[in-house]
Amino acid sequence: MSDWTKVTRPIPVPDEYTKPFWAAAKRRSLEMQRCQTCGHFQHPPYATCTQCIGVDLKFEPVRGQGKIYAYTIMYHTGDKRFAAAVPYASIVVELDDAPGAFMAGNLLGADYTEAKLGRRVEVVFEDLTDDITLPQFKLAGE
Amino acid sequence: MWDNRCKIAVSGVGYSKVSRSADIPLAAHALEAVKGAIADSGLKLEDIDGLATYPELPATGHAEVDGISVVSVNCMMAMMNLPNLTWHIQVGSSNIGGAFQQAANALLAGVCKYAVVWRAMHNPKGTYQNLPGNMATGAGQFTGPYGFGGPGQGHAVAYARWLEKNGQTRDKMATLVLNQRKNTQHNPHAYFYGTELTREDYFASRMVAYPFCLFDCDIPVQGAVAVVLTTADRARDLAPTPAYLAGYGQRLHFETAGRIGSLSNYMEGGSSSAKLTWERSGFSPKDVDVAQIYDGFAASVIYGLESYGFCKEGEALDFIQDGRIELDGELPLNTFGGSLGTGRIHGLWHIIEGALQASGRAGTRQVKDANVSFVGASAPIVTGTTFIFVRDPY
Ligand SMILES: [Zn+2]
Repeated sequence: MSDWTKVTRPIPVPDEYTKPFWAAAKRRSLEMQRCQTCGHFQHPPYATCTQCIGVDLKFEPVRGQGKIYAYTIMYHTGDKRFAAAVPYASIVVELDDAPGAFMAGNLLGADYTEAKLGRRVEVVFEDLTDDITLPQFKLAGE
Repeated sequence: MWDNRCKIAVSGVGYSKVSRSADIPLAAHALEAVKGAIADSGLKLEDIDGLATYPELPATGHAEVDGISVVSVNCMMAMMNLPNLTWHIQVGSSNIGGAFQQAANALLAGVCKYAVVWRAMHNPKGTYQNLPGNMATGAGQFTGPYGFGGPGQGHAVAYARWLEKNGQTRDKMATLVLNQRKNTQHNPHAYFYGTELTREDYFASRMVAYPFCLFDCDIPVQGAVAVVLTTADRARDLAPTPAYLAGYGQRLHFETAGRIGSLSNYMEGGSSSAKLTWERSGFSPKDVDVAQIYDGFAASVIYGLESYGFCKEGEALDFIQDGRIELDGELPLNTFGGSLGTGRIHGLWHIIEGALQASGRAGTRQVKDANVSFVGASAPIVTGTTFIFVRDPY
């Protein structure tokens, strides 16, 4: 299993589009940007709805369950901060409640070989600093 | 069909030395390639009146310094002091293929007569792709904290999805990589000229970002290539046999920055560009005699073959087997070795090879009776452009 204890992650810097996402994560809640005109979820947050060019966008709570849409296993140790965790799984998750809105994460608490298309995962929250909490994923029901 | 079909042609081509390390400033490489292309055309420096490039350093976390890590139009103007310059541009949205297309457009508009297009690539010291520093901003705030570094991992997630979705395995990619290294042995300008690669080497190589092993990724190098474009009537008066531009296209699809793993970003990018190219040129995939498809990461060739229409979705790894893509095969592919053979010079070398094959100037790697020569000059995601060059301008 990948050892994340020695990894120093870059700290996300919320901006005007993404502040509500990180504020929700700090409350251990997942909120995704949704178009109030057509109902489309999108991630990363954007200035307009990429489905209908609507501008009325709000963040709405979604359940943290979904499945692995794509993944890679990282072996390269070019970035020394992540070298201790190699090999590790970086995954792309499609949430049940927000189809089409892909979230990145690592697969925590499981061997990297468990990363496969379609595997059920659920969100967990990792505190990085006093201000920033990072959504992460583990296999569902474990 | 395009009104301007075959009204523009590639004439001369030029190369700098390609080296692993940056022992001379990149500007010197660019100048060597540009002067080479002008000389190959039989032109003089003062004949050149148009300049176009895409001055970008794809390595992340390194400074862009003009003349050292990029070579801008301004840098080239300062070096060359062209007395008859009338037009120049550097592009942003479509990589070097876009610069080439703008040069063709300028020639068609009559605002220059002989344009030179170059691409110069720098290999910085240290790690090529650095993750953001201590802070992750912009689209990187949703990827950097998870150790998603440079473009390699972005391409890797899409490739893993493609493989599993289609019930394929990465071992079939060896055919592509080995064939390209074989072709590289016919290209003395390439970084890996003189270095063979065996099947055993491929399967023993270290994994970088699964499903990519080391040999699925082009090697960062320092070097430059260049071409001279002119109008068809002028090209006929120059020394090289012209390669006529029958049509081109650019990708018309973009999903928002930071959206990763999405195959549609590759497939719709590629198909939108190819559709324009087939319509403008009047050709279809079955007419193509030889193809160059961008291969910075080997999987880009898969998306290219499928989205451009050479085979069905999910079938590209089977399509490349059984000799089909070899020099004497049904669709000779990346005949110059591709980026996997030349080193990371981006898509202008694909364009050069497409033109050389059409003009019958590809030396020992020349595909017999090649007329219709296809080029996909960048990964269909984000920067894709496509071209058809022909020997016969009708
Ligand atoms: Zn909408």
